[in-house]
Amino acid sequence: MSDLLLADRITKSFGTNRVLRGVTIGIGRGEVVGLFGPNGSGKTTLANIITGLTRPDKGRILFEGKDVTGMSMDARFRAGIARTFQIPDPYPSLTVVESVRVALLCSEAGRKETEGKGPGFQENLDSLLVRTGLFAQRFWPAAKLSQGCLRRLEFARAISCRPKFILLDEVSSALSARDEAELVALMRSLHREEDISFLLISHNPLILEELCDRVVAIEDGRVFWEGKPGDLAKYVPTSHHAHGDEGGNHEGG
Amino acid sequence: MKPPRFGKIPGVLVAGAGILLLLPLAGLDVFLLDVLTIGFLTAVYAGSWDIVGGLAGQISLGHALFFGTATYSCALLTSLLGWPFPLAAGAALLLSTAAGAAVGTLSAPLKGPFVALLTLALGEAAHEFFLGQTFFSPRGAYSWGGEGGIPVLLGIPWFSPWIAYYAALAFLLLCTWIMLRIARSETGLIWTALSGSELSARASGVDIRRHKRLAFVAAAALAGAAGVGFAACVGRATADDFSLELSFQAATFAAVGGRGTIVGPILAALLFYPLLQGTGIPPAGRVLLYALVLLFTLRFFPAGVAGTLRERARARRMAGRKGDGR
Repeated sequence: MSDLLLADRITKSFGTNRVLRGVTIGIGRGEVVGLFGPNGSGKTTLANIITGLTRPDKGRILFEGKDVTGMSMDARFRAGIARTFQIPDPYPSLTVVESVRVALLCSEAGRKETEGKGPGFQENLDSLLVRTGLFAQRFWPAAKLSQGCLRRLEFARAISCRPKFILLDEVSSALSARDEAELVALMRSLHREEDISFLLISHNPLILEELCDRVVAIEDGRVFWEGKPGDLAKYVPTSHHAHGDEGGNHEGG
Repeated sequence: MKPPRFGKIPGVLVAGAGILLLLPLAGLDVFLLDVLTIGFLTAVYAGSWDIVGGLAGQISLGHALFFGTATYSCALLTSLLGWPFPLAAGAALLLSTAAGAAVGTLSAPLKGPFVALLTLALGEAAHEFFLGQTFFSPRGAYSWGGEGGIPVLLGIPWFSPWIAYYAALAFLLLCTWIMLRIARSETGLIWTALSGSELSARASGVDIRRHKRLAFVAAAALAGAAGVGFAACVGRATADDFSLELSFQAATFAAVGGRGTIVGPILAALLFYPLLQGTGIPPAGRVLLYALVLLFTLRFFPAGVAGTLRERARARRMAGRKGDGR
């Protein structure tokens, strides 16, 4: 399988703390890859580097064969690399429909449909809201949404650019079992119908086993184990704080 | 489906504009007419702050830089170079817009308090520069500058306080319309998103540096337009046009009226400027009154008067929709 996205020998330090030490991960077209690892292993830093929030010290990010290492996060979104955050950060003064509208306006796909084709844009917006189950809440202030709805909003924002790759950072954290099941179903339908590739960061091995084609475990800034989701039980983290919470959306850690 | 962010402009605003239109006919003296005229220009200036500080969330504490650039350009170009006022006004607008582009470019990589600090420093640097700067008249007989200022040669003999009043009122209505159009536009929506969460905006494909720059450019152009009007009405540019008080005044009006609402800061300026100037309250008293009004507003209207009312109306609409079972 040819790589849609390749994080090639990524190295990153914050001061004297070497967070990533030459990590290489490839994600094929239509592939769902899980990223697993203990707290502080560098998962979120790698996610930030892949999506353009943080620049690596060494290494490069290739997307569809092109080097996008120097591209900003917004440019990568427009190019088809989308992401959700571990802690959703909604626009407090915008409604759900306005929040999705922003992403649709800024994505190149949305922009093309806006030009001289008003109804097309509106249909696209409505269809995103219906698909993510947010149509009934479309006029709600985004800040007043439940955790489950915030995750849906993150999904709606992410898929508005018609991405080829989505990075999901701890998508199931702080969710009820029902919300989690609905999000998993949404992810599956996106994967099946749009052939979107996913990199799924999670502390939950059950989710990874259920959804992923392949799982990569990183530890101490290195790829420590790689295999099939069914073999995840064979991976024994050397660190003794494997199942903690790694932090937030921001650079570092 | 148009997003219901601002709703319809209430009839009370239209009625207010009607009253302002008829007010001079009620026999106002020239002093009050002048106070109201400057009040209209101050309202445009406060609205311009809200474009960058409220809508786009880039707290500018040096907004007087754009206003002062326009007034000084008008003064220097008409008095020193002998340009006709309309030409000088056009150049002043361009220069204040260019100042906005420069400040926007410098502040684009910064966030939150650092934007405030940078704009504060730039505004104060300009204030200090023009406070100590002397310009010599072409005749060489006397110098201008500093607190005394530089005259603005309007060259319009038929200009009167009445004409100034109605011109400033028309200017306020036009600028309010422009600012509301900006706020309701796609760009306005993107700026509101940027103001809410830079991280989510970046992840939504917003080129935040370009939009921050653009917000500063739009705000500076409008503040510059207010400055041109001010220069024409007052007939002098002084170092006070760059003052920190003027920058804080805009931010205060926005905090009281409601950041990001456009109408709120404009109404706050229209109410408080004539009240403070027209009643002859000394400067120390004015500062105290500003502080009291700000404290009262933050206690009872945390999002400013218009902002809090808008939030309450939205909450009522939401409750109504839930009640309808939608």
